[in-house]
Amino acid sequence: MTAGAGTRRGRAGVRTARGVPPASGDGANLLELRGLRTHFFTRDGTVKAVDGVTFEIGNGETIGVVGESGCGKSITAMSIMRLIERPGQIVAGNVVMHGRDLLKLSDEQMRDVRGNQISMIFQEPMTSLNPVYTCGDQIAEAVQLHEGVSRRQAWSRAVEMLQQVGIPDAKRRAGEFPHQMSGGMRQRVMIAMALSTNPELLIADEPTTALDVTIQAQILELMKALRERNKMAIMLITHDLGVVAEMADQVVVMYAGKVVERSDVTTVFERPHHPYTEGLLRSIPRLGERRARLEVIRGVVPNPLNLPTGCLFKRRCPYRMPICDTAPPFQEVRPGQYSRCWLTPEHEPPTVGLSPAPEVAEEEAERLTVAPR
Amino acid sequence: MARYVFRRTIQALPIFFGISVIVFMVIHLAPGSPVDRFRVPRVSPAQIQRLIELYGLDKPILQQYVSWVTTFVQVWRPEAWGYSFLDGQPVLEKVVTRAPATLRLMGTALAVTVLLAIPVGVLAAVKQYSWTDKIITTFATVGYAIPSFLLGIYILFFGGVVLPQWTGGRFGFPLFGMESFGKQGDVLDLAWHLVLPVTSLAIQQISGWARFMRSSMLEVLHQDYVRTAKAKGLPRGRVLGKHALRNALIPVVTLLGLSIPGLLGGAAITETIFSYPGLGSMFVESVGSRDYPVVLALTMLGGFTVVFGNLLADILYGVVDPRIKY
Ligand SMILES: Nc1ncnc2c1ncn2[C@@H]1O[C@H](COP(=O)(O)OP(=O)(O)OP(=O)(O)O)[C@@H](O)[C@H]1O
Ligand code: SF4
Ligand SMILES: [Mg+2]
Repeated sequence: MTAGAGTRRGRAGVRTARGVPPASGDGANLLELRGLRTHFFTRDGTVKAVDGVTFEIGNGETIGVVGESGCGKSITAMSIMRLIERPGQIVAGNVVMHGRDLLKLSDEQMRDVRGNQISMIFQEPMTSLNPVYTCGDQIAEAVQLHEGVSRRQAWSRAVEMLQQVGIPDAKRRAGEFPHQMSGGMRQRVMIAMALSTNPELLIADEPTTALDVTIQAQILELMKALRERNKMAIMLITHDLGVVAEMADQVVVMYAGKVVERSDVTTVFERPHHPYTEGLLRSIPRLGERRARLEVIRGVVPNPLNLPTGCLFKRRCPYRMPICDTAPPFQEVRPGQYSRCWLTPEHEPPTVGLSPAPEVAEEEAERLTVAPR
Repeated sequence: MARYVFRRTIQALPIFFGISVIVFMVIHLAPGSPVDRFRVPRVSPAQIQRLIELYGLDKPILQQYVSWVTTFVQVWRPEAWGYSFLDGQPVLEKVVTRAPATLRLMGTALAVTVLLAIPVGVLAAVKQYSWTDKIITTFATVGYAIPSFLLGIYILFFGGVVLPQWTGGRFGFPLFGMESFGKQGDVLDLAWHLVLPVTSLAIQQISGWARFMRSSMLEVLHQDYVRTAKAKGLPRGRVLGKHALRNALIPVVTLLGLSIPGLLGGAAITETIFSYPGLGSMFVESVGSRDYPVVLALTMLGGFTVVFGNLLADILYGVVDPRIKY
């Protein structure tokens, strides 16, 4: 379940050969998030659901976004699609695709990106399809809109897509309503809909979480196959590291609205840097290993309305030091591996001393920080 | 579908039986009697006693009920519903003559309601929290809360009295009736007489429908499939008009069936205020004079509209919602 999937190695090899350096913008990147901040202005206060998220997705690359529930994965995805609604608002940052900042596009231009260049599969397969239109209708609608084909052509394309995602008797099934299908089938329909327009990027928000294990495996296989065929990039949101190991080239670990670690998938599994990533990895049950109880990260996700100062993870961190009261830098700990933690690449306390004056700590954080925040 | 309707109709029979028993008992238990209006010095107690025997009011109540119910169901006979105590006319005939006026009033009010309330409710939902929404919601709440008899009197006063005064008599609406004398059958004249009663009947309905439409639309707007529609890149109009509206209309469509009894009740008040010769005003008169056969017939009709309104609502539900199959 964890490391060692052959496909992953293979794809990782391809990626390394292409050598996608993060935040470099050398043209190999399909999408770049820079300092994205999406806040919710609620009656109780501001929830910084996404607070300065920076990462990029290379062409044809699969990036896994992981983190506990509520860390801002879905909101990041919806911000890319500009689907945030009141009381939420994207307050800062850029989402650059083909040199254009999606956040600055007109509504009309953005509509052309949605469903055409970027498609999204949502977390809830049971409720994401409209109950009063047939599945074929809903797929054909997207095709007709973006490809400018006739209704009939769009319909036959819809049937073809349903076949591709492995729905038996697709012709008949296309005329059925969502409630006539199982959860796994509906998720296939969603995938068919998302892929019907050949997007360059597919955002899949926990596409398998709501499904049972066998269906889950089938859907993942399906996504892999379609990824190869369509040469598209995937932003795969999940809190299942097993899925990441199986699918992703790059991994972004999020915690409380921030990216705390990112690197290629092999590194994350073999040499995680951030204590939170370590914790996540330890919480994966390993086959054949008998432990008294599943090791989980102790403590709970901080209340978004009451975040700690300094490192957001400090209340749960086993390595916690006095310097952690100052926000840690997002530093490159090894080539291609970035972590938001004071620990040195060797997992030692930083050289500035364990409890430097706040100003010194901030200066040090500034010095170590790489990517634009 | 036909089988479903048949089954529901059969199921409704015990309900009708129950209604008939309750209505009959309540009317007979209510104080007053149809012969009360004859209790004047000129009429001797012996004459009154003869009337009581003539109407069969001296028989045991169960016997009265059985004889009423057994004739009542024979609707193919003109005298099935008995004769009005007031004017001796066959009740069935009176009902049939007066029904078109009420149907016209209710139908127009319902059409106006649907045409106005749905767009207004949708608008309020789409612009939630805006001034448009606040104004609509305020009006709807006031319109819903104001008692209909009061509203009717205001409207009558404004449209029929104040307006002609302001315009020096050139413009105003008729104060009463369904048509002007000498213009019987003139469609425009009929419509002109409908304006005020329809307004007063529809305002409460519009308020209720608009509020319902608004909340239904609001609920749908937060559904995942609306987000899916947006994520597909559909223009806002299509997202709202196709994906959201169609779902939001599902519960509203059932209102169509359910609001018919309410309209009928409202018609009783409105028709009385506007002296409109329909079933509603006839009902109010008959209650006042304890005209048992008429009261019974109209109450039973009311029961029918409730039951069939419900049936209609369920059928429409099946038509608009593919998840429901009969
Ligand atoms: N409408 C809203 N109003 C207020 N806060 C919100 C709203 N929507 C999301 N949030 C907050 O945003 C944060 C991130 O939510 P998000 O849905 O992105 O989490 P997630 O990482 O996708 O979690 P999960 O794994 O459960 O899907 C949460 O803390 C949540 O409380
Ligand atoms: S900065 Fe400190 S508290 Fe935060 S993760 Fe690193 S060691 Fe732990
Ligand atoms: Mg989520």
